[in-house]
Amino acid sequence: MKFPAKTRPPEFALRFFRWFCDPLVVEDIEGDLTEMFWRDASSYSVRSANWRFAFNVLRLFRPGIVRKIKNPSLILHPSPMLKNYFITSIRSLARSKGFSAINIIGLAVGLATFCLISFYVYHELSFDRYHKNADRIVRIVENLRTENELLFQSVSSPPMGPHLLSYFPEVESYTRFQNWNLLAERNGISYYERDSYIADSTVFDVFSFQLINGDKKTALRDPFSIVLTESMAKKYFANEDPVGQTIKMDNDNYRVTGVMKDVPENSHFRFSNLISFSTWSRNNKQAEDREWFWNGFHTYILLRDASSIEQVRAKMQAFIKANIEKGGMYYEDLPLQPLASIYMDPQQRSWENGTRGSINNIYILSIIAVFILLIACFNYVNLATARASRRLKEVGLRKSLGAMRRMLIAQFLGESIIVAFIAALLSALIVWVILPQFRTIVDSPLSLSILPSLWQVVAAAFVLVLVIGILAGSYPALIISGFQPLQIFRPTTKGIYSHHNFRKVLVSVQFIISIMLVAGTLLVRDQIDLVKNQDLGFNKEATLVVPTNGDTVIMNHLEAVKNELKALKGVLAVTGSSTVPGQSTTNHYTQIEMTDGKMSPTNINFNFVDHDFLSTYKIKIIAGRDFRRDVKADDTTAFIINETAAKDFRWTADQAISKRVDHGNKGKIIGVFKDFNYQSLHTKVAPLMIALTYWPNRISIRIDSKDLAPTIDRVQQKWNELAPNLPFDYTFLDESFDRQYKADQQLSKVAGIFTGLAIFIGCLGLLGLTSFAVERRTKEIGIRKVLGASVVGVVILIAREFLWLIGIALIVATPITWILIQKWEQNFTLQAAINPSKFLLAGLCVLVFAGLTIVLLSYRAATANPTKALRTE
Amino acid sequence: MNRHQLGEFEEIVLLTVGILYKNAYGVAIIDEIQQRLGRNVSIGALQTVLRRLEDKGYLSSELGEATSVRGGKRKRYYSLTTLGSRVLRENQEQRVNLFKAIPNMAFPKQ
Repeated sequence: MKFPAKTRPPEFALRFFRWFCDPLVVEDIEGDLTEMFWRDASSYSVRSANWRFAFNVLRLFRPGIVRKIKNPSLILHPSPMLKNYFITSIRSLARSKGFSAINIIGLAVGLATFCLISFYVYHELSFDRYHKNADRIVRIVENLRTENELLFQSVSSPPMGPHLLSYFPEVESYTRFQNWNLLAERNGISYYERDSYIADSTVFDVFSFQLINGDKKTALRDPFSIVLTESMAKKYFANEDPVGQTIKMDNDNYRVTGVMKDVPENSHFRFSNLISFSTWSRNNKQAEDREWFWNGFHTYILLRDASSIEQVRAKMQAFIKANIEKGGMYYEDLPLQPLASIYMDPQQRSWENGTRGSINNIYILSIIAVFILLIACFNYVNLATARASRRLKEVGLRKSLGAMRRMLIAQFLGESIIVAFIAALLSALIVWVILPQFRTIVDSPLSLSILPSLWQVVAAAFVLVLVIGILAGSYPALIISGFQPLQIFRPTTKGIYSHHNFRKVLVSVQFIISIMLVAGTLLVRDQIDLVKNQDLGFNKEATLVVPTNGDTVIMNHLEAVKNELKALKGVLAVTGSSTVPGQSTTNHYTQIEMTDGKMSPTNINFNFVDHDFLSTYKIKIIAGRDFRRDVKADDTTAFIINETAAKDFRWTADQAISKRVDHGNKGKIIGVFKDFNYQSLHTKVAPLMIALTYWPNRISIRIDSKDLAPTIDRVQQKWNELAPNLPFDYTFLDESFDRQYKADQQLSKVAGIFTGLAIFIGCLGLLGLTSFAVERRTKEIGIRKVLGASVVGVVILIAREFLWLIGIALIVATPITWILIQKWEQNFTLQAAINPSKFLLAGLCVLVFAGLTIVLLSYRAATANPTKALRTE
Repeated sequence: MNRHQLGEFEEIVLLTVGILYKNAYGVAIIDEIQQRLGRNVSIGALQTVLRRLEDKGYLSSELGEATSVRGGKRKRYYSLTTLGSRVLRENQEQRVNLFKAIPNMAFPKQ
């Protein structure tokens, strides 16, 4: 087969190969490569042979083929030229102050946002890793199979810990927690301590919580012992030493046996005090031995060896079989969650203690951080290549005097690293100033103490700066150092200004990123508005929720208290219940009659309420009836379920009426109410059953929204009168309900701010580029004007170059964002439709900002006096 | 336990060098593997393994003639050393022994 005379293996790849290859084998491998090349050329095409050749060379770049570095000192050899490079770099930065400022500010803002987001991401990923035994601690969780469904629960039952310890030789220790919400009181200081936990005495062996005062062996041994955290100790004991003193919690007196350091902020659950487990277990010995389905505890297990988790997992089925009777409800599996993975586990489990992070948000934020850094780097690349013409004479001179190309590359790389360093210093300042605001935006304490040691942070920053400098500087360095001296001193514009397309690509990428961020932010906001304003099936507006904690004064006169409150002006309805929408419900072991007439066991969510619950929350009954005061039997034998529960037991709403229920006391279903979202829209509505109680934990007060503040005052006054020892510690139902979307709202806020920044940085770059374009075409514009071009004509001439890039960017950005947002919305049970007009809005927004930047500059050029432009030479 | 650990790819290259006898140089080895095993091998992968095998003493090499199709570069011919062929033989015996040790029950014919 004949080839054109000039056909040869690609020069660039070959040179690269000769450069890196070990001289011992360079000849025969090159021969092989060449032989392959000719063969490929005849069996495919010269073009594809070129590609294959280059690819082969790339794959040869590996240890074993690459030559050994003979004399490392050559690379590190210092030279007096370095000093000269440094001086010229600083001078050239100082000479064009505008460009340098744009470069440095852009990079600094980019770096600052990158650092802030990295800090946040680091914080989120550092959860629970501070425990010395972190890799050996696992939490035992449940996959519980009931008649109708598989429940994923984070809780476990009291016998599990002790039995796991005796069954598995791999288990070293365990500790169990249960959350108690107690009203603490000492010397008239009284607060609800919602984060009180009972814990086994082994808690200080398993976890690395620091006991400041007290003996960790005995602190939680005896009933009614309590260990306070420092901040709680301060709250009730001020500067006294609390150890040995007593504190009243609800109706019992507890002896303080220790004070510990506060639980670090990066812990998946935090507590204000720990109460000895024996306080509970001394009255519940039977439950502790046998109640395998009393799922109200969180059990953490310390393994002897981090790697034995697999062995324990392998034997878990045998453990379940050996210990737990298999009834209608059984454990399909008891998975083990490594401690560090709990916070970010994407598998939602019910009855979580503490808060959970969102790995999705971490991904999204990381992407935004990298995007912003990229935009800033692109700015540098664009401006540096555009400005190359300014440095041509210098490069030409250096080359004529014998500078080698790689020295010039080093010089220009060095220059970009210097810029990156200055930007880094500036960004440190920005971070310092912004950090407090950033903390409130992301609603996270982000204390510096969670960071590793100072020198590690500094080292990481140093590496980051080097990477940025090299990333941003390598392309301009290659371009500028590649000019031939002859070409420089006799410029034919073609060779020198031909990096236009590359710059256009970079600018389009910046636009794409900006549009994606703007459109993404708008769409995320749509989704959050949707879930917040969604009709949840109950009334959540203007409702106060006050905890009662089973206080006897209130409980003994519940009806009277309710009536007193109801009589106040502005109060519309009052109801008591064990829990309210948005807060966790308890689930109970219950037997329910199935379609075949048999009783079937299940675990169902319960809310114990009074007669006014459904009417206060405006929940509709769709079959049967509400509880009635005149039917005395309702107190113990009446149950009402939601639609989903009825569906779950395969009844229609009407069929469900008067089916039998056994929940300790036997009774019947008297009604079915319409589903309401008692949990966030992240999860589907689960079956719910309500029954009457006279011991509600919460009192909900619906008030007139037009008369909000005065009514609250009146309620507070009345409350203090009725229950002087009980704090009026109210929350607004809608606020606490919406707190379930905290992570999503944070995302939307953070994304919004950083979108603004991204556009700002992008526009900075555009500003530089346009001013360069104007400068380069000064003469052209002058001539055009002399020949009669209008100002508008000239502005369009320059703006055109950039504006159509925005159009392309819009086309590219739309589908990507569309898909990403669609994926994100899968987190909700209800998805907002993606509104195409948001993309147009995003495009328009970028267009306006970019357009303003461009038009401003080109207008100045267009209105300048042409004689001036033509006279400059 | 064999003292001479051979990777799977190393073994194939050794065998192919053996097959090609006096003709084993880079491109020829690649072709042979492609033909016999239908496996695409990059020059990079092959050359690293060849050098490793030479370092271990299983292969020796010498430079041969240059041809115009190779841009005037000489070929490097590889051949098995005695150590190399012994390692191959040991390897084969081990495999055969392992094969024989499989009970018939566990290894149904087709």
